[in-house]
Amino acid sequence: MIDPRAVSGCVRCGTCRSVCPVFQETGWESSGARGKMLVLKSMTEGANLDSGCRDSLGTCTTCALCTQICPAAVRPTGLIEEGRRDLVLANVTRQEHRRLNRNLLRYGNTFGDGRDRLGWLGEEKEMLPKSADFVYFAGCVNSYRYPETAKKTFQILSRFSVTAMPKEMCCGSPLLRTGFDAGFLREANLEQMEAMGARAIITGCAGCYTALKGYGGLEVYSVPEFLNQRLEELDIQPLDLTVCYHDPCHLGRHQGVYDPPRRILEAICSLVEMKASREKARCCGGGGGVRAAYPELSQKIARRRLLDVPAEADAIVTACPLCVRNLRDAGGNAIDLIDLVSRALPPSL
Amino acid sequence: MDLASDLADIVGERLSCSSAELYCYSCDASQVRGRPEYVVRPKDRDEVSRIMALAFEKRVPVTPRGAGTGLAGGAVPLKGGIVLDLSSMDRILEIDCSCRQVLVEPGVVRDRLNLALLPSGLFFPPDPGSSAMCSIGGLLANNGSGMHCVKYGTTRDYALDLEIVLADGSVIHTGSQVLKSSAGYDLTRLFIGSEGTLGVITAARLSVVPLPKARRLVLAAFRSPEEAGLAVNRVLSAGIVPAACEILDRTTVEVLHRCDPHLALPTADLILFEADGEPTAVLDEAARIEEVCLQSAISIDTASEAAEMEEVWAARRLVGAAVSRLDPKKTRIYVGEDVGVPVGMMHVLIRRVQEISEDAGIPAMKYGHIGDGNLHVALFVDLSDEAEVERAKLAAHRIHLAALDLGGTVSAEHGVGRARSSYMRLQWGGALDVMRAIKRALDPRGILNPGKLDLGSGTDCDTADAGAGL
Repeated sequence: MIDPRAVSGCVRCGTCRSVCPVFQETGWESSGARGKMLVLKSMTEGANLDSGCRDSLGTCTTCALCTQICPAAVRPTGLIEEGRRDLVLANVTRQEHRRLNRNLLRYGNTFGDGRDRLGWLGEEKEMLPKSADFVYFAGCVNSYRYPETAKKTFQILSRFSVTAMPKEMCCGSPLLRTGFDAGFLREANLEQMEAMGARAIITGCAGCYTALKGYGGLEVYSVPEFLNQRLEELDIQPLDLTVCYHDPCHLGRHQGVYDPPRRILEAICSLVEMKASREKARCCGGGGGVRAAYPELSQKIARRRLLDVPAEADAIVTACPLCVRNLRDAGGNAIDLIDLVSRALPPSL
Repeated sequence: MDLASDLADIVGERLSCSSAELYCYSCDASQVRGRPEYVVRPKDRDEVSRIMALAFEKRVPVTPRGAGTGLAGGAVPLKGGIVLDLSSMDRILEIDCSCRQVLVEPGVVRDRLNLALLPSGLFFPPDPGSSAMCSIGGLLANNGSGMHCVKYGTTRDYALDLEIVLADGSVIHTGSQVLKSSAGYDLTRLFIGSEGTLGVITAARLSVVPLPKARRLVLAAFRSPEEAGLAVNRVLSAGIVPAACEILDRTTVEVLHRCDPHLALPTADLILFEADGEPTAVLDEAARIEEVCLQSAISIDTASEAAEMEEVWAARRLVGAAVSRLDPKKTRIYVGEDVGVPVGMMHVLIRRVQEISEDAGIPAMKYGHIGDGNLHVALFVDLSDEAEVERAKLAAHRIHLAALDLGGTVSAEHGVGRARSSYMRLQWGGALDVMRAIKRALDPRGILNPGKLDLGSGTDCDTADAGAGL
């Protein structure tokens, strides 16, 4: 349920207009964070839940730039997700999001892919330690779209007593962001963690990172955090490259992880900042279910993000496969941090 | 054909009649509400002209709107009809460095204009707290100003020529590129501050000025806001013209500390003076300000590093909306928030506002442009407590009356809109009839932003008892 008091905290000053990536593309008031707050207010007043409400709330990437900048300390991102839950209960949802929900219920991954989720492990799957201090959580996008990244990540992490979940399921992020229930995924993953006696979980996906942190009681690391703590042990060989770093919204603004990926990149090559970075980093447009249900909008946001890339950067490095995917689709030379790390390691690895 | 089809013929997909969209355009940042029937987002003057001609023919109200950051309901469609969202007309058409002029469309955001001017070493001085999102069109329509108008004046002082679409769709220019003219009425000034009741601004030629070479901030802390006000009087009387002269009372400073605990501001009633210009002149002026303030200040600090000063100004810009941080149950409501009095009367106004706030039992932040006699009062209430909301409205009423009693105005820079229209007769007396005559001459069918500024009688759409109110 939407909290009317939290919604009424918005004073409609419009500060969020200056940063909302969706508003910048569409120009419609209902698409911006302030408009979404008004739509939420209308819902608390009993407005008819129609496609207008759905498309207003549905087009939030959950980038949280509005939350970051709001002078009244309102948190539109979380409130929008509450509104989406109400819309799901009223069955006012986009077909693409319903499909996503079905895929997850049936296959445990967003793509509805029936193949083995640990296929990226190849024959190593059979030798997977049954227990370890740390568990690598690959996530849906790396498992099914970037299996090489998942494999490279695991190979590097394997040096530090890391194993993988035998029956990893989606973290639940796509459902949580779009207003559906993700409890069954959480339970499935937590059960395995317990059975494996693992101390902590490590993920290379920003969306998974936020979702896993939301499980509660779980020690969660992002791959950049985990590797940054072990940088000395990695024997990095510097590369003659200049890169910029794109802060994934769910790693940066949502979780405050800004420095670890930068420390790793600085150890490998030259790092230049994007025009907007860290707390002010613009969104890639991929999150919040926008890529799935509003692909044109998602790509417009990504193309605008690419304008922030400094001319001297050879590549855009990021730490989220969804960001990689959306920025690549928009024409950007985006790579995962782990791709760069693996290139900078001695051949023996 | 119905009106929606006619409008779609003009703007295509930039028309919306969806309930969610109409709700979003039913308010600005004030407490005024009014639901439109159509929202259109024209992309150029010709579309605006065609929309106005259509509305004129069909006698449909049209409410122009910029970024919707107004605080008096100026962009709220009280009589339904069409909201004309001009924020998509956002091109900077010309930057003429040699003549120090720019030509812009109304949807250009103020900060974006100054970003574009930065390489030329020029800037457009009016700088309201909403500079990051407010549009030039809104600034012109409300004669907005901001923190540096004590030295640089208001938006009115920078407008050379406006392109206006009149109520019937015809287009006029109110000025030209010349810096001065003694030919005929000053229509540019007539349209500035007219809040979309006389025509729609579709382009503006503005003068811009060189950026100062140096700036210095003097933060003087006082025991009470009245002492602070008296210190400002002494500074101005000494012949000093600061670039900015802002008051932040103790409550406001507490709010700023909630936003940023590291902010280097003493918890007291503060005056922020800014000196700008040539480096040596700035040092001299700042020293003179310090000297005058030393008589009564409890502490004085200075800052000259750009980052340090920007931190203070950025916090100041957003303070109006930040009050919720003091108490999450309370929301700031924009009523009685923009009164202005002669500068010498500011300390009296501050005392009266404090008494009114205490009488009502409603806490108030007091901040604003003390150097030009403009006090912002932020009353914060629990919106679910109807009695408290009513007390806040009554307090706002008393603040308006106090300002008028001191020879002031109910709005110094936010505009009248609907929120303050009931004070127009009290403030203007017979001059309101002249304004009404002008309104009837330019908008005989009363389709332009009806229900605002108490201009109503005698027109089709506009009546004095406009529907939605506080």
